[in-house]
Amino acid sequence: MEGHEKTKDKLYIGIDLGTSRSAFVSSNGTRQWIDSYVGWPKDFISAKVLGRDILFGAEALENRLSLDIFRPLERGVIKEGTEKNEEAVKELIRHLLLMAKPDEGQRIYAVVGVPASSLKVNKLAIRKAVSDSVDSMMVVSEPFAVAYGLNLLNNALIIDIGAGTVDFCIMRGAMPEEGDQKTILTAGDYVDEQLFGSLKEKYPESAFNINMVRRVKETHSFVGKAAGKIEVMLPIHGKPVSHDITDEIKKACESILPPIIDTTIDLIAGFDPEFQAKVKENIFIAGGGSLIKGISDYIRDGLKDFGRCKVHCVDDPLYAGANGAYQLAVDMPEKYWEQI
Amino acid sequence: MKDRARGLKKKIHADLLDENLRIIGSAPLQKRGRGIASIVKVAALILLSISSLLFIANDLNPEIDGVNLSTPQLAPNHNDRGGRAYSPAEFANMADMIDRTKMPVRKALGFGIKTIVLDAGHGGDDPGAIGRLGTKEKDITLDIAQRLKERLTRKDYNVLMTRKGDESLTLSQRVEFANANKADLFISLHVNYLPLTEIDIVETYYFGPSTDPKVLRLAAYENRGSDYGMGDYEDVIKRIGATMKFQESKAIAASIQKSLFSNIRKKKEDIQDFGVKRAPFVVLLGANAPGALVEIACLSNSQEEKRLNDAAYRDNIAKYIEDGIINYLKTGR
Repeated sequence: MEGHEKTKDKLYIGIDLGTSRSAFVSSNGTRQWIDSYVGWPKDFISAKVLGRDILFGAEALENRLSLDIFRPLERGVIKEGTEKNEEAVKELIRHLLLMAKPDEGQRIYAVVGVPASSLKVNKLAIRKAVSDSVDSMMVVSEPFAVAYGLNLLNNALIIDIGAGTVDFCIMRGAMPEEGDQKTILTAGDYVDEQLFGSLKEKYPESAFNINMVRRVKETHSFVGKAAGKIEVMLPIHGKPVSHDITDEIKKACESILPPIIDTTIDLIAGFDPEFQAKVKENIFIAGGGSLIKGISDYIRDGLKDFGRCKVHCVDDPLYAGANGAYQLAVDMPEKYWEQI
Repeated sequence: MKDRARGLKKKIHADLLDENLRIIGSAPLQKRGRGIASIVKVAALILLSISSLLFIANDLNPEIDGVNLSTPQLAPNHNDRGGRAYSPAEFANMADMIDRTKMPVRKALGFGIKTIVLDAGHGGDDPGAIGRLGTKEKDITLDIAQRLKERLTRKDYNVLMTRKGDESLTLSQRVEFANANKADLFISLHVNYLPLTEIDIVETYYFGPSTDPKVLRLAAYENRGSDYGMGDYEDVIKRIGATMKFQESKAIAASIQKSLFSNIRKKKEDIQDFGVKRAPFVVLLGANAPGALVEIACLSNSQEEKRLNDAAYRDNIAKYIEDGIINYLKTGR
């Protein structure tokens, strides 16, 4: 990716803070994603073994037995309860910004994506967590950021399927208002829980945990017709055994689709009737959930009673939100950054 | 075409700045033709500002903790007087009779409780809180509402439910149902969720302003998706001096909380009493009738989640709420 030559004293960065994964895209050409985990060593022995005061992402997960580990964003907002979650979000953001490798003295202008129906208190909490690390920032609805990045500003519907939330945004050629955006809470994590529960029921002797189930889902997720049997190796009393999980993974993945289809219908039905047909041609799925095999066909089929629909999966779904937030950061007039 | 796209983006940038300025409280609030939830939040802010003096003054007045004599249009439209408001002179006479510790205002004004509306929180594609075992708040609230309905029906109350099954309802639909059915009492049932602590609590709310950030966050969460318009709120704002509703709501909330906590405590010593609080819940604001929102348990507590999956336990919860309602109706305390 090309750097933004004319603004060397400023770093523009778009951040997608996700329940499961957080990503950034920046004007110096860097972009990365990280699992949204933050861990502090449990005691001085762990600190000595790990050699660091804090770990992030997959590394934190791998060493979680030695860490007090946090996944501080839940359903797209900072978890309530302890100050540690707020601190974890601050550290996560600081880490993301370090990964962007800003030059010394560079002013950092950030746009951060949040779930569509984030309340003002949640947006303020995110602002508070981010503002220490940047010079100026704005929050934006995540699915809107996706729409902006793909230049889908009119007669389009974005469905951003994440881990904590599924966010919807219908675009009518203006900044979306609250009625144009919806968030539902049965998303990737819900699929993991459903899959975990059904596998436990079918294979009570097998040993596995939610992280393993998540990885299985990410590798094998599908809806609709199965291409073939899906088998994974799981230990039973320490011995790896092949397990057929085809039906379970299909059911778990499909479990989140009825509310997605219903919400899609609601949003389209509420759109200007003259342009509903156009919106139906421009339904885009983003986020990690767009990688579920067969999902676009399944949603299209679920909408067939409502006329011809075209459902597309965006390219580069893991960065679609961060990329859109970045585009907004770059396009935002300088005088606006000075006001916020 | 390019100019049009450029113009569109310029507008978007300005609107995004405006939205962010509003978030940090730096910009005047924009009027929007649609976006009802943001209008609700604006209205809630106005309500809090206007009503804080009324409520706080009212709450602190121990002597006539009741009817506001200067606002004769207080009588709810479901009273026995066929909707006619009391005149100032009638209020003046009644004020002498009304001593809140001896006679509930609604009794003094001749209001009976005939219709009780039970609102099972969440539903349909809104599961509410979900416990670690997968227990959904919407299922618990519906089950307990059904049990409570059976109990109160046996005592000859006309009991209606905003939802009888697993359906999605907006906040305004719940309120409109209560008002259309001329509810005399409105009880909304919810289950709390405090993810990073194992405490188990009960707490009950009635409508009013709050400065507690946790309470405001809970209210904001429960108020999401409300589709009231500003026009609805202007009408309600006029009625916000309806101190009878405020007074009675406080009393019901206190009675339910007392019954819930004291009874659960007999079997579970570590239950914590988070008491009776005011919160700006839209669902309580919009209903004409006095009402309370009850957080009956804490789904994030793993032991409590298991108990909530036991039908007998849920039946007990329904009974405790019933006792709270009946005690209030008998004594107004």
